[in-house]
This record gives sequence, structure tokens and C-alpha cells, in this order.
Amino acid sequence: MRKKAEQILRSRGAMYGPGAAGVQPKAAEEGGCGVTGFACTVPVRGRHIYEPSVQMHNRGNGKGGGIAAVGMVPEQLGVSREVLDTHYLIQIALLDPACHAEVENRFILSDFNVAHSVRVPRIADFHDIPGLEVQPPEVHRYFVRVKPNVLQAFIETNSLQDLSPRDAEDEFVYRNSYRLNEAFYASLGDKQAFVLSHGRDLLIFKLVGYAEQIVQYYQLEDFRAHVWIAHQRYPTKGRVWHPGGAHPFIGLNEALVHNGDFANYWSVAEYLQQRNIRQQFLTDTEVSVQLFDLWDRIYGYPLEYIIEAMAPTTELDFDRLPPEKQDIYRQVQATHIHGSPDGPWFFIIARSMPDLKRFQLLGITDTAMLRPQVFALSEGEVQVGLICSEKQAIDATLRSLAREDARICPVADRYWNARGGSSTDGGAFVFTIAEKDGKKILACADKFGRPVEIGGGRVRCDLPSSTGVPPVIQGQDAPATSVREALQKEDSLGLFRYGADHMRDWSPAELRGFCAAIRNGGNNGALKATAIEALTLLHDRRYDVGDKRRCSVLQLLDDTLKAVFDSTPRVGEPGTGRYRRIDLATRSRLAKPEQGAEVLLVNAEGFPPEGEECDAVLLCEAYCLGWRQFTVYGCRGQRFTGCGFGPASDGVRIDVYGSSGDYLASGIDGLTVVVHGNAQDQLAQIMKRGKLVVYGDFGQTFMYGAKGGEVYVLGNGAGRPLINAVGRPRVVINGTCLDFLAESFMAGDALNGGGFVILNGITFDDHGTMVPQALPYPGSNLFSLASGGAIYLRDPRRQMVEQQLNGGSYVPLTEADWQLIEPYLRENERLFGISVEELLTVDGVLREPAEVYRKVCAVKLKVLAAAAEEEGAEVTDAAAEEEGAVAESEEALPERAEALAAAVQPASHAVGSNA
Amino acid sequence: MSTAVQEARRGAIRKPPQVEVLRQVLPAPERYRNPIGRYKVVRSADCMSCGQCVKLCPHGVHEKPPGYRFTLRPHDHLCIGPDCAKTDHYCVDRCPRHALSLLRNPTADVLGDPRWSSDLILATWYEAETGHAPQGGLEYRQGESGGGFDRLRFRFPEQPPREVARPSGSRRDPADRATEIDTSLDLNRRNDGRPQVHIDIPVYGGGMSFGSVSIHAILAKARAAVAWNSFTCTGEGGYPDRLAPYDDHVITQVATGLFGVREETIQRVRMVEFKYAQGAKPGLGGHLLGDKNTPDVARMREAIAGNALFSPFPFHSVYSIEDHKKHIDWIKEINPRALVSTKVSTPADVDMVAVGSYHAGTHIVHLDGSYGGTGAAPDIAKKNIAMPIEYAIPKVHRFLVAEGLRDGIVVMASGGLRCAHDVLKAIALGADGAVIGTAEMVAMGCTRCGNCESGRGCPRGIATTDRELIQLMSVEWATQRLINMHNAWREQIVDALRRFGMKSIRELRGRTDCLSYLERRDERERAYA
Repeated sequence: MRKKAEQILRSRGAMYGPGAAGVQPKAAEEGGCGVTGFACTVPVRGRHIYEPSVQMHNRGNGKGGGIAAVGMVPEQLGVSREVLDTHYLIQIALLDPACHAEVENRFILSDFNVAHSVRVPRIADFHDIPGLEVQPPEVHRYFVRVKPNVLQAFIETNSLQDLSPRDAEDEFVYRNSYRLNEAFYASLGDKQAFVLSHGRDLLIFKLVGYAEQIVQYYQLEDFRAHVWIAHQRYPTKGRVWHPGGAHPFIGLNEALVHNGDFANYWSVAEYLQQRNIRQQFLTDTEVSVQLFDLWDRIYGYPLEYIIEAMAPTTELDFDRLPPEKQDIYRQVQATHIHGSPDGPWFFIIARSMPDLKRFQLLGITDTAMLRPQVFALSEGEVQVGLICSEKQAIDATLRSLAREDARICPVADRYWNARGGSSTDGGAFVFTIAEKDGKKILACADKFGRPVEIGGGRVRCDLPSSTGVPPVIQGQDAPATSVREALQKEDSLGLFRYGADHMRDWSPAELRGFCAAIRNGGNNGALKATAIEALTLLHDRRYDVGDKRRCSVLQLLDDTLKAVFDSTPRVGEPGTGRYRRIDLATRSRLAKPEQGAEVLLVNAEGFPPEGEECDAVLLCEAYCLGWRQFTVYGCRGQRFTGCGFGPASDGVRIDVYGSSGDYLASGIDGLTVVVHGNAQDQLAQIMKRGKLVVYGDFGQTFMYGAKGGEVYVLGNGAGRPLINAVGRPRVVINGTCLDFLAESFMAGDALNGGGFVILNGITFDDHGTMVPQALPYPGSNLFSLASGGAIYLRDPRRQMVEQQLNGGSYVPLTEADWQLIEPYLRENERLFGISVEELLTVDGVLREPAEVYRKVCAVKLKVLAAAAEEEGAEVTDAAAEEEGAVAESEEALPERAEALAAAVQPASHAVGSNA
Repeated sequence: MSTAVQEARRGAIRKPPQVEVLRQVLPAPERYRNPIGRYKVVRSADCMSCGQCVKLCPHGVHEKPPGYRFTLRPHDHLCIGPDCAKTDHYCVDRCPRHALSLLRNPTADVLGDPRWSSDLILATWYEAETGHAPQGGLEYRQGESGGGFDRLRFRFPEQPPREVARPSGSRRDPADRATEIDTSLDLNRRNDGRPQVHIDIPVYGGGMSFGSVSIHAILAKARAAVAWNSFTCTGEGGYPDRLAPYDDHVITQVATGLFGVREETIQRVRMVEFKYAQGAKPGLGGHLLGDKNTPDVARMREAIAGNALFSPFPFHSVYSIEDHKKHIDWIKEINPRALVSTKVSTPADVDMVAVGSYHAGTHIVHLDGSYGGTGAAPDIAKKNIAMPIEYAIPKVHRFLVAEGLRDGIVVMASGGLRCAHDVLKAIALGADGAVIGTAEMVAMGCTRCGNCESGRGCPRGIATTDRELIQLMSVEWATQRLINMHNAWREQIVDALRRFGMKSIRELRGRTDCLSYLERRDERERAYA
């Protein structure tokens, strides 16, 4: 292996010619992007990458989009299976079609045997695609093998004797593309041509525009592949754009898209150049995939080590690794740390492994998890694995897939976030499609190869039964009767209990009958409220669903709810009851609530996610007109729900259904927002007062800078929740969070009006029963450098250790603490059905609160306290200017290292030693 | 959105009646008994109080109020110094008893530093007291740093190119001048349906948070902003209730600590500023020691008194350009009428940052260069990380021009802009206007002793939250000092534009041909053309 790597890298020197090497500055800044990808056990049409791309429009700026497809259908490419598997598929983009002959003669015909070539079809006039402003490149496709004599000469000239012929051929193709790019792209002011992709069974398109426009322009709507990835780019330099800068970038058999921005591009490029790898497109993404190609194809590292080299495991997580892994990881880090991308990044990689007959989709996050990322897995007859920047894009993909293939459920079985650089999952997940018994199967595993498996039932229940016979339900206990009675009595809780109790044993048909009965009742204005409440409880709560797939139960309930919502009279239409409905088409009819109308149902579908016309603005307008109760449904990632109501919005309530978007409930000051499902990033930023309930998970930077409010979360959270929160926020999180929970928490004294977080660290098993998670909180930097407030941890087994803190300390729970938190746990019980007694029960025994909960409180740190010696320490000759000492009174944050060092020594010790 | 709904939404934002402040130059003498001046005029015991010097001095150094037997101690901070000897009113030579002598004031010699030279501080005090630029000797146009703006000179033409000139003696008669040369700026160039915001001078006040400066200083800045139809900025310490009558002239700052930022404070203003970084310490956050977190400060920041408060770097919710766009969209959703300013420091790729901000929807990009900054910023950061503002401005300006975006965005510059000529130079380099901080502090009497971050003990009662020290300075007095200083600046701006034959400050933008750069060998050259 070592010989092979040396031979490849050394001989590359000759390829570059006499020109001086040297790192060139990055060509563009592009922090922002939207990335999405999915892998499916059946080849699916390109139109399905269209939806998530459109959904993430606002993560790009239309200056670059790209898609890649892996695992294609040979017939649609006009080749045999054998050719598709064995031949390199070279796609060349011609920015200047005039150079076609020259490119082809110099870089294809002379050295390759061409099995098939085609000019890729496209629509005649790009102006026909709305919003597309730049002519996309003309694309030529070739299926090639290197001519045997050429390959032989290549091996001899470059002394590549230790390479297998296939490896040598790979290297030839790689270098051929480099030379083509050098001749027609990198060296030129006016770019003429470049290689889009050259791997086997891998296809890439890029243009200046949005990713979905590729699907339209190159007519890929019906083009089928197992794995698709797409990228919306947001570059900020230059008026002249080339599709060459768009993602994905290629190694050999892999395509990589990237969201983020390196702080150490220079160092990474230097690292690569020391290994004779030079850059042509000068972006973070190019060097990222060069790293992957180096570690994978040339060094032959297993995927686990590649991920370790990219996102090193650190701190407590490193200590938690088994010793033998530590030995290897230490070597990996020592060797490659300078090539390790530093800063916020998230990669999605699609790769074909033709010799193994496998396809892979990978997502890798940086160690600090600074970019948003969501993974999802949908099991069933057709399996789908998905990775996106936003959950709502996953939902859009699944919806699109389900429309075409009923075997796919529009709701995934599981959604989760990766923990970067961790010992728990390694911050990376791999979806592998392999063949087993002539059938493609998809397996998901984390960095360490541990599988992600979905338990629970397998029976779908959201689809109409294939027989088409409506379910016949008889007997006293028949759902229809009970539903009618409960609705009449306006007993939504009873209806919910009835449903939850029977769910385990119901057949899909019976469940559908139950839902249909509620739907029929809910169409009636008077019974609608009870129907909605009961369906919502069934949707939100956890209970045993028996042999049914929970996601399909949710989908059925979603459909039923939507039907009930949709049967509501529109604003301005004649109707009775408390509910009125408004949607995009009728938004201009918004008016004061008429007599008796109390709840405004907003169908968010089609509303733009932000801007003057978004649904969040509509809610504010309706609020000003006198509406106080809102239900937003059909969300597709629309942002800012609940924002802009201003102060003293007490008494307002917003219920949100569907894929809610970023910044939900940010800044609320009095009102109540209830999210029926998972929430996304930047939830409840600067929240002041009011209440937020999330019946699911939340994303990054939850409650950043919050001042107060009550928040209840059923599920888990991503990284950096409650950073910089002050005042008196009171939060119950029943799941757990990724790292940096409540960093710099400044919420006073919890027992004296300040804020706190209760972290229960529980989850639910396949039967809806509460179970503790493996660790109440897996990460480190819990309550890091916090100066106030408290964390109450449910940790009956005392699994949490000192190293997970950074400046705080564990103290026993006192009676006063319990009196403080119990009412919040009671409310938590009311909302989620998680009983306090159950929380206090460990191993079947009801325990004292102090045995189950631990408190983390702030230690008066020298760096944080009003230490006298700090005064004047920072005064310098050039005193204040601008917003300086005069303007902003913040002291400089001491060097991090100093802070950490000081954090180890509590101030009390310092005082002691002084005395 | 229908008009009715718009009106309803606007009406929902409760705003108290807005206060008016007259734009009127009135004397605002130093509030201490013995003001510091460049010179000392000493009256010996030989004086017979004949009153000759009182009659002679046009600058008001000598005063003998009616009914007084003796002449008062000389107001020597108004003295123009030895240059006066060339005039016919030089008191020292004309005193019949030779009782007067003129010396350099040793206190003045220890004042200041190369950036904010003794002369600049004294000149700013003079401007704040009188409303006009000092005459005779005090260098009010530049400091002595030997770098930055102190290396730049205007190349004024011999004669104003157009017939706009008036005798220079009319400098103290600005009223009719104001109609003639336009110093105003429009801050919304996006044509996005949001209201236009117009400021009468190309300058507004930078963020100074409650907690760092006294409420009197904050109110005075706001009142002066009203008088000059400009802005002041809250900084990140929250929005004091007493600012409410000036809402229309307040910028709410949203900084990384998000202290005191609430929907209400975003909704009540016409402009919101994101502070991503400070030029003095880019990449570093802030940290307010527990000691400074007094009950008043804590209430404003919604924190608990006595605890240290952190401002992180960067925004935890913004790690990339599309996050920034989302951030701006959020503020725009909360306040549908506000303009958005993005304050950034000046890294090497500041030009790309500016273009990215434009595409993200900002109205103003505010570049904060490295000369600014705090006594508290670590030395290693100060002047070592960010790009000097005089490099950053043309870099950004030219890149925006090349991108065809220059007229869609306003570029404001800050970071060590000390005087009217610094503002002019920043504009000639390519900015639209300037944001100032320290100059306003100096106008209120700051001596730049540099102890402001050390707690509540500002000896001049400006950068303090101590209830007694605050009383050292009244709001009315401080307001007048600021109004006066801005008047002096505007006169200088108008004068410079006249000499270039320009009718509007907007004509000066990007006119680097109006500037020359002093090479090292010219460093001693101090005189203006």
C-alpha cells in the first residue's frame, strides 16, 4: 500500500511541468449553502432531487448549483450493464462549444477506447427555464477505457509497477482530467471547458443557477439513479461566474458537496501540495474531495480513519474510545491534523463502488457541529436514507418520492443529528446500498460501523387497503360509535385515550376507520375542535402502536388532520364554528375575525419561507386585526413563525403542524407556540416571555440569548442550546442535547428567580414506553463557563463525570431545588404524559428526587468574578476609541486558554490561598 | 399587504411622542472651573485691572464682568497662543503694566497620545464649546500618529473650480451656507419598498451600551442625533426606557451577546444594526465583569446583577452567508419598516463580506477598522488583526463598483475617525459616511485617560453607571456640546466641499484623486495645502 501511494504521488510531479507550485488564495468565499442527498434501494427519478432543492432555495443565491447521480440504469444511458460498471463515464462541460473538437481529440480519442459517446440532451432555449440567466454548459458524455498500450506506457513512464491495472487506469483518468482542466480551465482567463465527472457509474452536472434548474435543463426529470445529491451555492465573489466553481467536486468515484467555510484553506492546500496534489478551482470543496481521494484511493484508508482524519475525536470523547482505537487515532491525527479542515463544514458524499457493486451516501460533520445537518432513515419494502441541511428538505424529498412510489412513506422512521468528532457516533453516517439475494438493500452505519436500526412494527397503515373494501367495524366497542360519542361530549382526552389504548391491536383498516370517523365528525363545525385536539394528542404523544410502523400512523394522522383543517370555511365565506381558514390564494381576504370566529387556520403550503409575503407576516397582520388563536399547517420550512408579534402578546396561541422552519418563536414575548412535530434551527432565540412546547426534536442554537419563558421539549436537541441565555428561562428537555448545552449561561440564581434547564435524558422504546438514554448527556462542555442558573440532570446512575463540565460543578439536589422544579415536571407530565413518578422510578423502585436528579451549578470563577486584580490590568496607552472601553464596556474575553486554565481553579481556592 | 393591515401593524407598535431638539449653536463652556488649554496666560500681581486686555481680546480670554473690580483669571483655554503676537490685539505686549505672560500649558503637553493628540483633544473641546473650528494654532484636522489618516492630505485646488467661493471670513456664518452645499445622505438605496431614511450630516453615533456610559451620555447623544437629524446607537447593553422619546433617531444594535435585544426594541426603531465584530478585536468576544454588572445594568440586560456577562464571537447562529441572510430576514420580519445595517470588522476579504451582505439584504454595511477600540481590547488584537480602515474602505468601494452594486448599498466607516477631516478622508476613499464614537466622548469632556473599562470610576462622569458620578454631567450641557461639535464638523465639511467645487457630500465619495499620501520622507510635513 505504501509503495503504491508513493509511486502515485511521486510520479505526479512530472505531470505539473516546470511551473512553480504554490498555494493560491481561495477564489471565493462561500460559507453558505444548502446540501441535500438521498440513497434509495430502487433507482428513482431526478425530479425527486428537484423538490428539496427548491425547498432550500434560500440557502443559495442562484450563482451555482450542482447535482450528482450514482447507481444509474444502463439502458437510459444507451450502454450495457457491463459498460456502465467497467467504463469510466467522463462528462465534459464546454463553456465554449467551439473547442469541442480540440478537447475531444486531445483528451479523449487519443488515449481512450470509447464505448459510447453522446452530446447530453437539453432543452433548446435556456430562457424557457424561469430564472435561469446564464447559458449552462454544453455537456458531452463518453464511456471510455484507457487503450491498453497507452496504459502500459503510462505505468512504465511513471514507475507504477505496484499498482493493479485498474488502479493505474484510475490514476490515468484522474490525471487526464487534471490536464484537461489545466489546458482549458485553470490556466485561462476565459474558461473554455472542464471535466464534470470521470468516475464509474457517477454523473455530475453543474451550472450557474439553482440546482433544480439542472434537472429541467438537462431533462433529468425521468432519469433514474439510486443516489442523488444536490447543492445550492451561495458564493459572494465576482460578477463573472463559472459553473466550474459549483459543487459537487470529484475525486474519482465520488462526488462531494459542502456547506461551510474553512478557516485553514491555506494549510490544507499546503498539506496537499506537499503530496503533489495541486488545486485548479481554488475552493474549500475542491481540497475537501482531494483529501478524501488521497486518503481513500491513494492511501487506502478505511472509511473510519478517513472520517477521523477529517474530523478528529477530541477531549473526553477521545478518552472514551477503546485503547486500541486511541492508538490508531493518535497516529491519524499526528499525521494528518494539518490537512484536517478547520471551521464550520458539513460534507455529503455520493460514491460508487463498482467492483463491490455498492453505492454509498455519506454525511460528515465537523467536530464542533457548526453547520446544520439532519439524517433520516425510511425503512420498508423500499428503503431510503437521507441527509440534508434542513429537516424540511428531507420531508420534501420523501413527499416527492412517496407521490411516485407508494411503497415509500412520506414520514421517515427516524430523524437524527450526528455528533461531530464524538465517541458516540463519530459525527458521520454512511448509507450503503448493496446487493443481497438479487435485491438491493440499504444499511446505515455510523463512523464506527455500528448499524442504525429501526425497531418497531413494519405494517404500513397510511395507505388505503389494497382490497378497496371499507373496513367493517362491529360491536359495542366499534371505533365509529365511540368516536361519535366522544365528539358529542367534547371529550378530546377521552377520545385520545380510546385511540391510544386500542392502537396496539387495531389493524390498519380499523385504525383508518377510526380516523375516518373522527374526520367525518370534524367536518362538523361544532365538533371540529374536539376532533383536532384528539388527533393532535394522538399525533404528539407516545404509545404502543403494535405491529404498525409509527411513521405511517403519524402520516395517517397528518392526513386526517389536514382533511379536518381543509374542511373549514375560508375567511369571508359563510360558515359557522370557531374556525376560519386562509391560504395563499385567499390571503388578500384577511379581515377582522367575524362574530364567533376564534381560530385562524393558515395553510402554509406555497407561502414563501421569508420576506414580505411569508406566512409569518400574515400571522402578524391577523394579530393586528384581532385574531388571537392560530393554527398553521402544511408547513414546508417556512421561517419566523411567531416572530414579530411584539411585546405583551399574552393570550395568543399558535399551533404549528408540518415541517416548521428556522427561527420559530424567536423573540416571543408572552405568546404560546406549540410545535406538533420536530422543529428546526434557531428556535426561540432571544425569547423573552411566553411558552413554547415542542413535540419532537429541535436543531442548532436553540434559545440563544433567551431572556425567559417556559419551554418544554419532548425529544432531543442539536448543539449549542441556550448559549448566552440570561434572565429566567425555564426549560424541560426530555431527551438530551449535543454539546455545549447552556454555555455561558448567565441566568442568575435558579432558586432566586433565575433560569434553569431540566434534562431528563430519556427516550421511548418501540412500544412507546419511557426508557433512559445510554447517557443522560453524551457530550462535553455542559454548562461551560456559565456564571448563573442551573442544570438539573436526571442521572440516577451517576453516569455524568467531571470532564463533561467546564467550570461548573455537580451538587446534590436539595429540597428547595425539588420544590422549584417539580411544578415544571408536572406541567411536563400534563403535556407529554411523562409522569413525575415514572421519572423518579429507577429499576422499578420509586426513589427520592435527590437520588435521581443532580444539579449542576456555576462555580464562581476567577475569570468571571469581579476580581480586583482585573481592574486596570487591560488598560493600555491607546485607550478607548469608537465603541471601545468608552462605547462597550465589555472586557476583552481573555484568551480561551487562560479562561480554561483559570476555570480549573475556582475562586474560592484562590481566596483560600491568599488568606 | 393591504394598506389597512399595514396601518394596523404600524399602530400596534406603541411609540411615545417624539421629542424635538433645536439645532442651535450656543456656548457650552467647560463644566470644570479651570478648563485645560494649549496655553497658559498668567496675570501677575502687577495688574491694575485697567480692562485694556478685556477690550483687546476677541477670543474672550479676558473677562471683567460688570460690577467687578478685578479682571477674572484668564480663560486661557481660549487663547490662540504666540501667533497672536502678529496681531494688533496681543495682550501680553499691550499690557501697560507688563502683568501678562504667555506660556505653554504643561498639562496640555501630557494630554493625549499620537492618535488622539493633545491638539485634537483640545480642538474637539473647543468645537464643543463654541460650535466652530478653533482658530490659531490648534491642529484640529489630524493627529500625530504618522500613519493612517494622518498620512493623508487633501489636495485642495488653488481656487475653487466653480464660482461658489465666498470670503473665508464668513466661516462663522453657516446659516446661508447650509442651503448651498448638501451634506445629507439617504440610507436606503435598495429600492425595496422600505421607507427612506435621510440623515442631514454624513455621520451618526456608534454603539455605546448602557453600562459602559452613563444614561446622561446616552441621552445627550440621542438628543444631538435628533437635533442633527441623524442617529445614535444603543450598543449591546439594551434599550433604556428613557430613550423612547428619541426612537426615530436610535439604532438598535443586535450584537453577539443579544443582551437586551427584544422584539420590542427592534420594532420601535427605524434602523437595526447587526454587530458581527469590532475592528479593534475581531474574532474576540466581550466580557463584562461581574463588578460592573450593577443592578441597573443587570436590569437592562435582563441578567442578574453581579454575574459576569459574556458576548461570544461570533453569532452562534451565523456561521455563513446564508445564515446571515436568514438573520436579516428575521429582523425584517419583526420590523417591516426598519433598515438593516451590518457592522463588520475589516478582515483581508472584507470586500467579499460587503458584497455578501448586500446580497443578504442589508441596507448599510458598516466597516469598523482597526484603529478603533477599547482600552480593554487585548494589545495583541488591537491594530494587529483587522485591516486599517483607510485600506478597507477603497477595497470595498472599488469591489462594489466593479460588481455594479455600489449604488445599492450605503458604506459607513468607523474605527478611529476623530475629526471632520477624518470623515472627509473616509468619504473620499469611498465611504458614504462615517460612524463616530470617541469624538463624541471627547466633546463631552473625556480626557482619554483610558480608565473607562475599570469600573464605575470615570473621573468625568461619562463612562460610568455610578449614581453619584453620573451627576457630574447634565444631559442638557452634554447635548449642547455635541450639537456644537457637529456644527463645527459640518462647517468644515462644507468648507472642504466648497474648495473642491462640490455641491454635495455625495460627490466626494471615492474621489481618491482629491487625496495625496505622504511618503515617509514627508512625514514631518504637517501643513495642509
